[in-house]
Amino acid sequence: MVRLVTHNLLACHAKDCNTNNFPLVFQNVQLEIREAEFNPGFIQSFLPKIEWNALVKTAQELGDTSLPIDQPEMIDDELLKNLHHVLFEIHIVEGAMICPNCKHNYPISDGIPNMLLAEHEIA
Amino acid sequence: MPPKAVAEVTIDIDPATYETQNVHAIYDTIASHFSSTRYKPWPIIAKFLSRIPDGWIGLDSGTGNGKYLSLDRDGKTWMVGLDRSINLLKFAQNAGDKAREVVLGNVLDHCWRTHAFDFAISIATIHHLATPSRRVLAVQRLLQAVSPKNGRVLIYVWAIEQDELSKRIIPQGERNETRTGQDVVVPWVLSKSNIAQNPKSPRDSREEVYNRYYHIFAKGELSALVSQAAAGLGLTIGSVVGQPSSTQGVEILQDGWERSNYYVELRRWSI
Repeated sequence: MVRLVTHNLLACHAKDCNTNNFPLVFQNVQLEIREAEFNPGFIQSFLPKIEWNALVKTAQELGDTSLPIDQPEMIDDELLKNLHHVLFEIHIVEGAMICPNCKHNYPISDGIPNMLLAEHEIA
Repeated sequence: MPPKAVAEVTIDIDPATYETQNVHAIYDTIASHFSSTRYKPWPIIAKFLSRIPDGWIGLDSGTGNGKYLSLDRDGKTWMVGLDRSINLLKFAQNAGDKAREVVLGNVLDHCWRTHAFDFAISIATIHHLATPSRRVLAVQRLLQAVSPKNGRVLIYVWAIEQDELSKRIIPQGERNETRTGQDVVVPWVLSKSNIAQNPKSPRDSREEVYNRYYHIFAKGELSALVSQAAAGLGLTIGSVVGQPSSTQGVEILQDGWERSNYYVELRRWSI
């Protein structure tokens, strides 16, 4: 499944696309919400590695506005629960991810994103 | 099971096309049978994963059926699996009966935020790349994927030195002297019962043989590959101790052999 935890790591890698190639923008998506085991310890240590602005923007585009625009310094239970939901419980099953720069379309099918490029698109 | 014969090959077509035909297409065909035989983790890899600090995120580059995605210390660490075979990823997606994150992609591409991961593993994958320069690039992709400060990488490839339990027979010759390894194909026999599960395979024959391409590594070849990859990225090879400031490098923490495979464990450093 593509969840936002993975989306936060992916970037466009098409030939000559080196700037503004992150985050990819979801398009025509089909979502599924599935409960996952809450693991606050992991989220807390993972937090510094998240690209916060990309996560908040993407969550909002998918209709989840539970995260504050600015990354809070204080980490409380409510924030960890909201992060847990956004990162691990929203599954993107079908749709596509579009590069904000070169508009390359990475399709998602049965929960698997296809990051392959055609020969002429490879850097 | 009797030992299977391994045959030497020469690659005389475009290596990307060769890999598509002799690696990717075969894994997509044998995925179901292959996955049913791949469940036991190798000890060195299990040990490496058991020592990963809490909260670290990793890339399993060439995840196959995702058997290492489950070694996440009960959720204290987390990995995303990348593979070129969509049919293997369908197994990886639910490895250990849990929802896993998988991405269809090539290990030669860099579809990630640079340095986004804390660690990366490449298990039994780089030996499927058909030229030295492609194998160097694959190592560079791993070094680019992990943190330049303390990122860890574990690479595991098929070795010319086979243990007694191996089911393979390696062609004799200069293999003990060579430092460049050997290009071979290894047969995968898909029996009728396994073919029946795969509607794309012919059903009229009793069994089908698929010859997968491997580059069998010579002793010392893997660490030489790492050094070449690191040099190409401007990284110093060796320990951080005594290095001048503003340098970045890679230290080889382990360089060994286990059960017919060579492995290296790497640590990136920056000062």
